[in-house]
Amino acid sequence: MSAVVGPEKISARGSAGLRAGEAALGLSIAAFLLVFVMWPAASVVYVAFTEKGTGAFTLVNFHDFARTDLFVRSLWNSLYVGAMTVLWACVIALPLAVLTTRFEFRGALLIQTLGFVPLIMPPFVGAVALQMLFGRNGTINLLLSDWLDVKIPFMEGLNGVIFVESLHYFPFILINLSASLRNIDRSMEEAAQNLGSSGFRLLRRIVLPLAMPGFAAGASLVFVKVFDDLATPLLLNVKDMLAPQAYLRVTSIGVADPMGYVIAVVLVALSVGCMALAALVTRGADFATAQRGGGGLARRKMRRLETVMAYALVTFILLLVLSPHIGLLLLSFATIWSFSPLPDAYTTAHYARVFSQSALYVKNTILYASLGGLIDIVVGTAIAWLVLRTKLPFRHWLDRGATAALAIPGVVLGIGYLRAFYDVRLPGGVPLATLWIMIVLAVAVRRLPYALRASYAALQQISTSLEEAAENLGATPGRALRRIVLPLMTGGILAGFVTSFATAAVELSATLLLVQSNSDAPLAYGIYVFMQSPAGRGAGAALGVIAVVIVCACALGAQFAIERSQTVKGDPH
Amino acid sequence: MLRLAIAAALALACGAPAFAQAPAGKVTIVTSFAKDVTDPYKKAFEKAFPGVSLEVQNRNTNAAVKFIEETRSANATDLMWASAPDAFEVLKAKGLLMKYQLKITGLPEKVGSYPINDPTGAYFGFAASGYGMMWNERYARANKLPEPKEWSDLAQPVFFDHVAIAAPSRSGTTHLTIETILQGEGWDKGWRAIKEIGGNLRQVTDRSFDVPEQVNSGQVGVGIVIDFFAFSSQAAGFPVKFVYPSVTTIVPANIGIVANPPNRAGAEAFVEFLLSPTGQEVLLEPSIRRLPVNPATYAKAPADYPNPFKDARFAKMISFSAEKSETRNDAVDTLFDQTITFQLAGLKAATKAIHEATAALAKKDNAQARALLAEARDAIAATPVTEAQAASAEVRGAFTGAKEKTARQAELEQRWAGFAKQQYATALSKAEAALKLAR
Amino acid sequence: MSARANPPAAPGRAVDIEIAGVNLSYGGNHILKGVDLRVEPGELFAFLGPSGCGKTTLLRLIAGFNAADTGVVKIAGKDIGQLPPWKRDVGMVFQSYALWPHMSVRRNVAFGLEERRLPRRDIARRTEAALELVGLSAFGDRKPSQLSGGQQQRVALARTIAVEPKVLLLDEPLSNLDAKMRVEVRHELRSLQQRLGITTIFVTHDQEEANAICDRIAVMNEGIVQQVGAPMDIYAHPANLFVARFLGAANIVSGKMIARGGERAFDIGEGVLLPVPKDKIIAEGAKFVFRPQDALLGAGADGDIAIPALIRGCAFLGSILRYRLKMGAADIFVDAPFHAGHKPLAAGEVAVLYLPVNAGRWLAG
Repeated sequence: MSAVVGPEKISARGSAGLRAGEAALGLSIAAFLLVFVMWPAASVVYVAFTEKGTGAFTLVNFHDFARTDLFVRSLWNSLYVGAMTVLWACVIALPLAVLTTRFEFRGALLIQTLGFVPLIMPPFVGAVALQMLFGRNGTINLLLSDWLDVKIPFMEGLNGVIFVESLHYFPFILINLSASLRNIDRSMEEAAQNLGSSGFRLLRRIVLPLAMPGFAAGASLVFVKVFDDLATPLLLNVKDMLAPQAYLRVTSIGVADPMGYVIAVVLVALSVGCMALAALVTRGADFATAQRGGGGLARRKMRRLETVMAYALVTFILLLVLSPHIGLLLLSFATIWSFSPLPDAYTTAHYARVFSQSALYVKNTILYASLGGLIDIVVGTAIAWLVLRTKLPFRHWLDRGATAALAIPGVVLGIGYLRAFYDVRLPGGVPLATLWIMIVLAVAVRRLPYALRASYAALQQISTSLEEAAENLGATPGRALRRIVLPLMTGGILAGFVTSFATAAVELSATLLLVQSNSDAPLAYGIYVFMQSPAGRGAGAALGVIAVVIVCACALGAQFAIERSQTVKGDPH
Repeated sequence: MLRLAIAAALALACGAPAFAQAPAGKVTIVTSFAKDVTDPYKKAFEKAFPGVSLEVQNRNTNAAVKFIEETRSANATDLMWASAPDAFEVLKAKGLLMKYQLKITGLPEKVGSYPINDPTGAYFGFAASGYGMMWNERYARANKLPEPKEWSDLAQPVFFDHVAIAAPSRSGTTHLTIETILQGEGWDKGWRAIKEIGGNLRQVTDRSFDVPEQVNSGQVGVGIVIDFFAFSSQAAGFPVKFVYPSVTTIVPANIGIVANPPNRAGAEAFVEFLLSPTGQEVLLEPSIRRLPVNPATYAKAPADYPNPFKDARFAKMISFSAEKSETRNDAVDTLFDQTITFQLAGLKAATKAIHEATAALAKKDNAQARALLAEARDAIAATPVTEAQAASAEVRGAFTGAKEKTARQAELEQRWAGFAKQQYATALSKAEAALKLAR
Repeated sequence: MSARANPPAAPGRAVDIEIAGVNLSYGGNHILKGVDLRVEPGELFAFLGPSGCGKTTLLRLIAGFNAADTGVVKIAGKDIGQLPPWKRDVGMVFQSYALWPHMSVRRNVAFGLEERRLPRRDIARRTEAALELVGLSAFGDRKPSQLSGGQQQRVALARTIAVEPKVLLLDEPLSNLDAKMRVEVRHELRSLQQRLGITTIFVTHDQEEANAICDRIAVMNEGIVQQVGAPMDIYAHPANLFVARFLGAANIVSGKMIARGGERAFDIGEGVLLPVPKDKIIAEGAKFVFRPQDALLGAGADGDIAIPALIRGCAFLGSILRYRLKMGAADIFVDAPFHAGHKPLAAGEVAVLYLPVNAGRWLAG
């Protein structure tokens, strides 16, 4: 070993020109975040700091927050649910990630893709489907009470929230953990085996710690997402959590109550804090796979019994996490499904009903979600690069600013966009806020943290010496980024894109306010429209199924690309 | 600044030429109504006025109000079309609705005892709906629930944990129902009745539509819903039944022209169309099933179609004071949320104990237990504020933000919630003591 | 730019490197302390020192990856301190090789040429020439992960020399190779460097490597250049105890300078005194240093200092026998050539050690 005293730490390479370029990039991202996240959000949330009636600045609302039992209880409940969900999401994600990346496992690609599907939960219909399966009088409980005269309260109270959120959000951990596991140099594992470590101890002591950046990225996303999710608690009729409290207050008609915005501020602050904590945990954990061009973990063959057990486990987990979608599928073909384990009869009429209209929704959805995803990976990668590879002052604030978007409730952002951009007129007097591109920006901003975390983890795992070698051979940092770093980040960037794309495709809360006409409406809006009447339930479910299938197809395509880039990078065998 | 803008908008609205031009082009309508309602109207309207297209933007009521509010500077919406009268009141108060003098004549002033139109001409009722109880037959059979007939039936022990209602703070029509009960029964008796039902609640949903959805899915037994939700559920084939209680409430569904509409002629044409015999007949479609405000239309209705102008149940509806409702609007919503919605666990625990003690007493009477039980019921029924206080300037100031410093809303909420929690705990211990005595 | 990659650039084009007064700190750690060095044109120059001595930091400073707090780095008389890495025209081979896993060997080698925007034909030609130079012409289409360690090392080298840099920097280039390969490759490196005539700095912690192929060596420790010179000079005349110890085996004997009747002597304990030449200036606290092969056991030449020593043991190292002895209070080693049939001295015997007058040196820390 030679004497490198933290090469990247004392690396201050540099001309003024480079730093100017970095500064320009940093400033333009800062401007983007200011204009499309901070300003719209602030234009709504500033109410939290004003006195009702007079509008004078005050902090008394935060004092009230701390003194109101309901809010304090909600805060603790949210923290508890967030932490427990992370735990259970790990229990679900870990076996899938390890089995598919460390073992020769037929259908690993399929599992990686299916394991991602739970993130794509169409609004409203997804909730109904879950109720039909796991609710008090859902399929499972009806069968259980028939056979055994017991009911399991899957969907009752905080534990119900934890159950549903774990099923819904574990893919964040799965995706990021898998990406990390793939990037670990096999020599690390081999070294441990050589020193007598194997099996579970090897996993626990070497492999998982090395996968920590990806795990932390995923776990912090899960925590923050659960923390900010309002759909699930509302579905389960749990109101004493922070996000539903904020939502209920912000969206009540004609109520000028600052407390909703106070909660929103608390949510943002805690979410950013959580992300900062995750960053702190992985700081100094420089797990870059430097040498020898990666190669990934060695995939081990399983013995027969192991294979059987592994498949049984994977099947069980997949059945569990995909049950909402199975329910959705049933719902979309059901004539009537009410208080019975399965629908009364099946029909394709719902599909026929939505078919004529869905083409437009599908087109809009793909357009918005892919543009949004694209914006996310560009901005996300740029932020990750600035934070990890430059000494730009305040660069961490870009990270935090982008992360804060995760915690801004969708309706707040939607109102903020109207407030901030409606009075910005284009030539011809058309308000800026009425353009469909604003929907794209809103979904992009809401999903930016996903892409950012994925890019961040990917970049963290690329050794700086690979870039230095390029610069040494005459490539400017920009060119080194394009020719060396970006190609090596492809897997992570694609993972970020898929996550952003898929979740943006079913985004509703912000779009509901920003959709200006039916011709601009995405699928989620179509589902909402159908789900407003009893007769529209099947049609809404059919549209939901269409949304899931399309997003899955796109995700599968991206997964293929990831796998291909991995084989290109990695091992020849 | 804001006030100036409102004044300007009003001036513009009033000063615009009063004669109507022939409608043409795109008419943009923001609505909370489902596709099942809007599609037939779109078809009928476009047929009646060739060359006019109806652009329907579906938003929930809250989003619709926020949208109109935020886009006022370059309003692109012609019409607001929704049920909840409070949403129209908010828009009206902010000067976001255009005053309009209806050309159509001969329509009644009231349906039941509820005035159909806004007296200032800011919005108009085009359909009525009655509140009632909707239940899932399969659920009722499995859980041996009797058919409910009156509101008070829902307070019976057999319905414990089987009832759903939308939060009045989230559903303007539910708010009307709660307010009707409070006005009809009086403040104290009204709250007692509401909390007795409240103790049996399975769910307080945050959207009106979630109640019929939960009943349709079989997740709850009985829902307190607007009639058309039940009718359209039946039309879709769900095994549900519906009944109007003998004292029902009538809630209107409204239309209003947004101030400064881009297509004023088209907007006016749609309002007139909605109230015309053709427009009223569309309401009879099975997927809509709302009650027309034109009594003549009922001639074309199916045999079992309820007619509020003739049906005795609707006539019985107590007289409703809109002013009274207005003065305590926020207080009633917040009281409901703080003492029922967010305290449901405590309320249900106490109610369950009361049900058990009542059952035990029925088998073996005990005067002392009976007294305790009455105290427990009183503890639940108690309200943290009197009727007069709820409408007082102090309480109203807390919600609107008065100039003079009063208690802040958050403080009031905390006080009321604390009160309810305390009362429910008392009720629980008394009911448990009663049960012990009765055994 | 000349389009010629092979045969190499004429030695006349080789440039010198001058490092003057360089200080570098990071976070309170003073990593380089007043480094002054001059590397002659065409020279193969080694930075030699233990882990943490600052040699790699200094190398990265020349490449532009670190910035000095004070001091200048000049190449061919031109201060390059303000140039970013990609404008320095300084080729570096990384310890990890830093081959890009997503590119084929050929694409790796062509990278620098592409960045210089050369015509496509020249790029192809020079890439092939560089690959041929390192004997990897047949491997151009492989991915780096499909090569052995030695091959990867050669790709890294080819990638660097393909751009014909003014200066070549090698950061522990042999450390990832096995011992046999290391010896082989270091001679290949040397001959390649001589053919190219390129000024080259070679960072290593292995003195044998540095001695074997380098023209001159800078021995570094704790951020300070301890001594600069040709390998043999440094070996023979270490400037201080650190250098003596770091280069080859050395006996370091502690003692006390005493005056004895007008003459000085070095008391190494247990009554053994070493005579000290009259004119020698010896620093306070200096120690007596000599190489194991400098002393003779049994029979010496006239004028040698004769010291009695107790044999403690003997190790057979092939061509030599290395004796462990006790001389005064010090434990020392002495080498004797081994001949077949020779019977080593047994442990416990007292032998006489003959030390030529000029073989030993008194060195301070």
